[in-house]
This record gives sequence, structure tokens and C-alpha cells, in this order.
Amino acid sequence: MSTAVKGFAHGNRGAGIRNHQLILPSVICSTHVARRIATEVGAVTFAHQHGCGIIGDDVAGIDNFFIQLADHPNVNSVLVIALGCETIQGQELAAKLRKSNDSTQYRIIQESGGVEGTVAAGVKAAHELTSAFPPATVEIPSLRIGIDVGRAVQGLAALEKLLTDAGHVVVTSDSPFSSAESFSRLAQEKAQIIISFPSQTQPTSGFPLIPVINVASDGALHQAIRADFDINETDLAEKILTLIYEVASGSQTVAEKNNSGEIRAPRVVRSV
Amino acid sequence: MSDQLFAFKRENGSWGLRNHVLILPLHSAFASSARAIADASDGAVAISHDWSGEIDSDLARILFTLTGFAANPNNFAVIFLTVGSAEEKSIIDGAHALGLTRSAVLSLPEIGSLEKMQAEALIRANEFLVEASAQKRVEAPWSAIVLGLECGGSDALSGITANPALGVASDRLVELGAISVLGETTEILGAEHLLAARAVDPEVGTRIVAMVARYEASINYEGIDIRGAQPSRGNIEGGLSTLEEKSLGAAKKAGNAPLTGVLEFGEKPSTPGLYFMDTPGHDIEQLAGFGAGHINIVVFTSGRGTPTGSAIMPTIKVSTNTPMYTAIPDLIDLDAGTIADGIETLAQVGDRIFTEIMEVANGRQTKAERGGHHEFALSRMYKTVIK
Repeated sequence: MSTAVKGFAHGNRGAGIRNHQLILPSVICSTHVARRIATEVGAVTFAHQHGCGIIGDDVAGIDNFFIQLADHPNVNSVLVIALGCETIQGQELAAKLRKSNDSTQYRIIQESGGVEGTVAAGVKAAHELTSAFPPATVEIPSLRIGIDVGRAVQGLAALEKLLTDAGHVVVTSDSPFSSAESFSRLAQEKAQIIISFPSQTQPTSGFPLIPVINVASDGALHQAIRADFDINETDLAEKILTLIYEVASGSQTVAEKNNSGEIRAPRVVRSV
Repeated sequence: MSDQLFAFKRENGSWGLRNHVLILPLHSAFASSARAIADASDGAVAISHDWSGEIDSDLARILFTLTGFAANPNNFAVIFLTVGSAEEKSIIDGAHALGLTRSAVLSLPEIGSLEKMQAEALIRANEFLVEASAQKRVEAPWSAIVLGLECGGSDALSGITANPALGVASDRLVELGAISVLGETTEILGAEHLLAARAVDPEVGTRIVAMVARYEASINYEGIDIRGAQPSRGNIEGGLSTLEEKSLGAAKKAGNAPLTGVLEFGEKPSTPGLYFMDTPGHDIEQLAGFGAGHINIVVFTSGRGTPTGSAIMPTIKVSTNTPMYTAIPDLIDLDAGTIADGIETLAQVGDRIFTEIMEVANGRQTKAERGGHHEFALSRMYKTVIK
């Protein structure tokens, strides 16, 4: 039996459990400007080291990575902040995004008067997007739940059954080492919420667009930093559904409160 | 008084041109915390990176980069944020072996949570900032200047205005006994023979040619011809036609001084002179390599304009053309476009760059420092996707 969650309708991106505005830097050079805009308007952004000095399959790969993030269901509107001379061209990225969602704008540092000019222009554009695309609530009867598997989890099959029996769709991704690339894959799979089982040697982590519920193992590191986790693995069966509904309804995870959420795009060629 | 240098003397005899307290996360999960601590401290600086302790083919390069960066003489003290792994410990120990004397190691499992770690780091940062504020600059020799030469977003004027003008300033500093380091292997591809001909001995010449060949091979193994992928789209819009043309212009940043030595990525130069360091053309990865190699000031020429800066190295931006300088004034410290307009000679602009380097070395802030641009990126040689 499923309890419907009140979420947000985000056009062709789908329905999300967060109403994020994403300030998307198309290159590392614009990440600081993007952060200043995001801080001023209360949007989300992230630092990354991509967008230039890339060749071969990485050009399309990174471009596609940005598109997948921008098209995520938890995103309401997108403001691309470009430098101007980078490999991934901001206006082209924005044009691709606009094909499926009008709620996309871009600003270019080299054409907007530099840093201060772009911060001012970006803040204005972000406010315009917020006014043009106010939150539209919608019922989400079935959540798309990502599971990041960074360690052996005994009750994994039972957890999946519990979630699917409750009417949700489950997508899993193994993270052989850290969760960063696993989160990226789950974002591409349009997971609205993530349950992460980090390796016993890894701390918790978050993802800028998706609330991550971190599940603690009984290992020494995890128990030492239990405060960074949302739930113990041993409490899953009893408490996870309630926790998912609370988070889906707006309650912040510890990672969200800590504002943690670094991203790393998968790379296949060295930078040049 | 542009000929007198005052700097911070470090215990191991090296010199800092800045007295930073650096918050260094040794795991990507601490990146946001590091930024928050630096912001709250109003004085400390932080970097973020995307290494989560992965033990893969790039491990040695990543450890080397973070160790050298922590030990850069521009750092008064470093606050390490750690999970407590052996790799993190090797970075901390390595930085101390390289000359870092003040650090605080904050271990997440010992402290108990990210929130508490942030609070404790802020207390330590404030203590170090107070201590740092008491240290005075003292008269320093020319060898205290370790200058990095960089260009990014090149255009057709790069090779005739900003780059050769920077070459004039670099030559003058090298002659006085400073160290100057040219980077960006991508950008000397096709011009390496000119640098080899200036080598102080045949071995250095052979090494630079071999280094460029090794670089090209590391790209070609993926079946990609770098000469087809460079110059970048931004370069072409700026009027450049081939990689060789870009390289001939880029190498001019190193003036005409003899080439003293060749450095691996992040390797520290020892004696005064002009060096070449094997770095990618990716501006920020290249800056990270410079920082790891203990370069303490950078001049960055640009045709298109970039906000880029480093958390620890003052980065002076020089425009190749006046329209760009006028269009984005808060990114550029100095305009070399006057050469193309016939307003100033190469020597005059070279002189202005020299004076700017001295003033910034003595403590004046660059625009990137003022704007808080602290970009950082790890250079990796191998793919990050696990197939």
C-alpha cells in the first residue's frame, strides 16, 4: 500500500520531492560566480573541475552529464553560468536544455561585464525564473528510490522488497569505493531520493540535487560519526519507510543540513 | 620601490609571499565544510577537490599534488580535515618533511561529526590567523620569487602582446636570480625545439623533447590526435589557426633566458633560473601543479578573460587586447593590448608587468585574490570510470 507524497511538478523533468533551482557552472572557471549567485538567491549549485581541457569521448560525456543533472526531476529551473571560451559552450548547453524545458536561462561571464556584472545579471535571471516558474504541487504516488551499495548489506533484498511492496520503484548502483560516481549514476536514473550504504571506511556524503539518507554500519568509523548518519542499518526494517516519507515531504537529511554534496563526472580520457 | 622585496621567511629557508592559513580537506566529503570554515573565519582560505581516498592508478599523482600544495611556502599553517586513512597521513607527514611547520589535524572519527569538526576547525583557524598576523615581512633575496607563467583563453594577440611582454619581465627576474617556471605541455607542443635549443646543457634539451613526446603519446593512446583537438573553440574564435601557432605564442611567456631545468608535474625547482614543468593546459589543474611545486606567484595572460585564481598563490591577470580589458575590468589586473595599438612598446609593458609582480609579491592584492577566486583541480592521467 502506498502513501502519496506531495511533491512538485517540474515540466518534462517529471515530479520532484525538492523544488530546486540549479545554478549550473558549465566550467570550473565559473563555479565561484555560480556559488555567489546561488548563495544570494537560495539556489543549489556545486563545484566541479570539468568543462574545459577535455577531449575525445569526454566532450560528449561531460556535456551529457550536465544535461542529466539539469533534467533531474528535483529541479524546477536552471541557470547556466558559462565563462565563454570553454569546450562545453554554455549557450549550446542551455539550448539543448530548452528543447525539453523552457525554465532554462544562461549568462556568460565574458559577455556580462566580468564577475560582478555576471553576479548581478545572474541574480536577476534567477529571480525571473523563480517568478515565471512558481512551485506547482503534485501528488507522487510512487517514488523512484536510488540505493547506493558501497558495502555488503545483509538486508538489501528485504529492503528492496519492502520499498517495492510499498509501491515505489528501486534503482541500485554499486559504488566500488566512494559514493560520488554512484550518486551521479542514480541521478541519471532520475532517483528522487537516495539511500546510501557507504563503505565501512568511508564517511557520509551528499548530492546537491537529491536528498541522501546515509545508513550507518556497525563498523568503528560509522559508529564514531553516528551523528552524520540518518539511520542505523539495524533499524532499517522498522524505520526506513517513515524516514523516506518525512524526507520526501521536505524534512532535511543530515547531509542536506551539512550542505554536503560534491560531484564528480565520470572521465574516460586524461585532461589536456 | 619596486626593486626591494619583503617576504615571510620559513624555517627551512624558503620564502612565502603570502601568509595563508589553508583549510585542506583530504577527502571530497569535507569540501563544503572546508569552504564554510574559511568563509566563517574571514581570513583563512580553502580548496575543494573530488578525491575520496580512491586507491587507483592516479593515487601517487594525487598524493604528490596535495602534499606539495600543503607545503607551499605561501602557507603559514594548514588545517587538515581527515578521515584518518594511511594515505591522508602520508600527505600530512610528507608536507611536514617538505617544510610545513604549523598544522592542525582534525580527524572526523575522533571529533564525532562534521558539524563539530567545522566548529573546532574554526577555532584553530582563528588561532593560526592571529599568530600569522604577528609575523612580519623581512627583506628577501631575488631567489625568494618563484614565478609561474601561465596562459589561458589565448587569442591571435597572445603571441605578440601579453606573452612576449611577460617574457621581458621573466627574463629580468631570472637575470636577477629569481626562479621562473613555464608550464602547460599542450601549449609548447610544436615549439619544444626552440626551448631545447636554449637548454643550459644537452641533457635538459633532450628531456624537454622527451617530455613533450611522452605527453603526446599519452593522448594518442586513446586514439585521439591532440593536434585536431587543439586549439580549442575559444582559441579559434580568438583568431588562432593551429596548435603550433598557439604554442609558438605561448612559449614567448618564457622570454629568451636559458632553460635551466625540466620539472615533473608538481616538482619543486631548486636553484635560480628558468624551468619548464610538465602540466596540462587545463588552467586550474596547471595551477594546482604550480602550487605543489612551491611556486609562490603567478602571471596569467589571457585573450578571452578568466576569473581564475588560486587559494594560496597570488595570480596576476594580463589581457592581450584592450577591448577585453575594458569589457571585463574586474578580472584583469593589467592590459598588454596597448602594444597592438602602438601606445606602448613591448619593453614598456614588460616593465609594468615586472613592477606589478614586485608590488604583488610585496603584499598588494590581485583582483582574483580580492574576488575570492580559489579554484583547484586535481590532475589525473587515467580514466575515473570503472568499467
